[in-house]
Amino acid sequence: MAKLNKLMVCLAAVGLVFIFAIVSGNADAKPEKDSAVALAQPKKLKAGFIYVGPVGDYGWSNAHDAGRRYVQKKFSWLETMYVEAIPEGDVPRVIDRLINEEKCDVVFTTSFGYMDATIEAGKRYPKKVFMHCSGYKQDKNVGSYFAEMYQMYYLSGLMAGALTKSNKLGYVGAHPIPEVVRHINAYAIGAKEVNPAAKVYVKWLFSWYDPARAREAAESLIAEGCDAFAFTEDSPAVIQVGKEHTEKGKQIYTFSHYSPMQRFGENTVVSGQLVDWGVMYEEILMKLHVGSWTNDDMLWFVKEKAVQLGGEFGQAVNPRFIDALKAKTVNDRIFKTISVYDLVQKRLSQFKEPMITFDPFTGPIHDQKGNLWIKTGERGGYQLLWTCDWFVDNVVGRVK
Amino acid sequence: MLFKIEKRVQAPATIKIAVLLISLAAGFCFASVIFLVKGVHPVYALSKILSGSFGSLYGLKETVTKSIPLMLTGVGLTVAYRGKFWNIGAEGQLLFGAIAATWIALKYGANMSSYAVIPLMFGSGFIGGALWGIIPAIMKTKLRINEVITTLMFNYIAAEFVQFLVYGPWKGKSQWGFPYTDNFPPSATLSLIPSTRIHYITLIIALAVIAIAYFIIMKTNFGYEIRVIGDNPDAGKYAGISFTRTTVVIMILSGGFAGLAGVGEVAGVHHHLTYPWTISSGYGFTSIIVAWLAKLNPVYVIVSSFFLGGILIGGDTIQTSFGLPYATVNIFNGLILLFLIMGDFFLEYRIRLAGRRL
Repeated sequence: MAKLNKLMVCLAAVGLVFIFAIVSGNADAKPEKDSAVALAQPKKLKAGFIYVGPVGDYGWSNAHDAGRRYVQKKFSWLETMYVEAIPEGDVPRVIDRLINEEKCDVVFTTSFGYMDATIEAGKRYPKKVFMHCSGYKQDKNVGSYFAEMYQMYYLSGLMAGALTKSNKLGYVGAHPIPEVVRHINAYAIGAKEVNPAAKVYVKWLFSWYDPARAREAAESLIAEGCDAFAFTEDSPAVIQVGKEHTEKGKQIYTFSHYSPMQRFGENTVVSGQLVDWGVMYEEILMKLHVGSWTNDDMLWFVKEKAVQLGGEFGQAVNPRFIDALKAKTVNDRIFKTISVYDLVQKRLSQFKEPMITFDPFTGPIHDQKGNLWIKTGERGGYQLLWTCDWFVDNVVGRVK
Repeated sequence: MLFKIEKRVQAPATIKIAVLLISLAAGFCFASVIFLVKGVHPVYALSKILSGSFGSLYGLKETVTKSIPLMLTGVGLTVAYRGKFWNIGAEGQLLFGAIAATWIALKYGANMSSYAVIPLMFGSGFIGGALWGIIPAIMKTKLRINEVITTLMFNYIAAEFVQFLVYGPWKGKSQWGFPYTDNFPPSATLSLIPSTRIHYITLIIALAVIAIAYFIIMKTNFGYEIRVIGDNPDAGKYAGISFTRTTVVIMILSGGFAGLAGVGEVAGVHHHLTYPWTISSGYGFTSIIVAWLAKLNPVYVIVSSFFLGGILIGGDTIQTSFGLPYATVNIFNGLILLFLIMGDFFLEYRIRLAGRRL
């Protein structure tokens, strides 16, 4: 027993020395404050961001955080903070903390599952502003916003359909939810337009971030003969698979997802979808700053620059694939004989026109069983596309 | 010089408290390194964390909310561990409780008053968790399959089953194709203490369950039987205690209590069934530590679940106040718990510095 007491005394002493060293060695270290905020400004604003994943995911949460950093740098009157990897059930508590303890004026909640909690928080704090990303509910002081990229998936589909040798396109999908289903459909519609024989093979991951399973899914789709890939998964795993096969002599085409991923496979990434949340955050915060904020449902596309085409910002198509895309021509009802590369450019400029003159979801569009969902000449529209749980007829796979 | 490790007879209370405090301090000293690396003063960090969970009314309310599922799963594990049935499957048993309650809520919730449907949900949740717990118990007693493996694996089966339900047959019509069941009707949701998120009915049930478990373990023959088959199944057999029957009842209680926690989560917090990791966020695993810190005494579970709830809630401030990455929260919590468990060793054993070779 005496021995043990000695041991305990030793342990306690070590602990005390440790604490003392810390206290004396680092007494002036306080959490940093942004110096820009200290500038005299008529009205300061503090914005809190809640992310569902870690900011290092290279996808969804990372893109939101890039937007946050952009506005933080841009506005001297703005202070921002974020919390990451917050499960849905915990979000009410985190909102309370951001409002009560961190004194945020506006809170951005960036996951569909946060929707009801955000609406309830709006009722609890009627003087604060909340913006929920990817949902459909609004309230007096709660707005919503989303950057939609099905048009870009359609353009990727055009390119994939033109480039494929096997007429088999692959898609590695995260979760079978309307957003992902809509993107797969847009990709398949694009592929069909330039290549009626092209079919899209889908594999689900049931996860937003799972590089190991994404890699497996891509490998098995390649084994089935697929040679062009789009995907929804927050890592460049599919691109790395494409790069490996391309280096071994079998050209695989891939389309980058969400963040600039071309750097992970210059020889395989043709193009892709990029999201720039910064422009949306800029608009929202600026409106709050000048007092013109309203509880809009902001749905921004490529026209508003919230979305861009490419595997890197500023480069719509990887130059090494431009010749191949120019070599393939199709007959379009309006543009007559046109190369796929030019068609992509035309469509892109149509998407950017004030009255968008082309929509991929223009009928006739049938599902896999032959049911007509969109009549000839009509467009899909918000309600249909945002609840979509069926695949168009050239997709192989099931919406589970 | 050699270390010699020998078992203690019984550690006095002063040693117990001293070991606990030293373990906490040592854990925090290690965790300080992370704060120092990131330029946050560790003492300031600790004060923020503690005030975030125990030091403010707001924090306390959240800590209590978080401790409810930990209490129920934790007390279930004390029963199992006393019988040396190493149930690692509270997570899956919790999920099956949630599934059963969801079924009742969606099928009968709209047409029944809450006085009928809420008890029904808790009843079915208990049964759901218990059934999921019985299977590994039977596999152990009849087929001699290690329960650590089966209960652990059953967590994944339960999680996949929840996913199957919310992506498939139970996907809500009103949820825009997202993997959520429809929201429960108001009669099937638990009311909260105003301006908190404490679903007090589950809290009352948890405290009642703790009292019942304490009574069973400490005051009944069955409690004695649990200990006997845990220590020596053969001796139990000679004493006329059925290994199979006792093990199954242990797991009915252990799984059932976890199932009740699942009911509380879906009816009190989420109001629908959705991704399994959202419903549970690891309570089934955290409660292993809850049970262990409570020294397998149901009454101490109240304290240990409150403490662990506080650790989880206080972890928030690591992100909100210091802007440190999420991983820091896990590292901090992990270090504290690791040291607490290591400290346990000194209660069971003492180390003697042996001056001579043995």
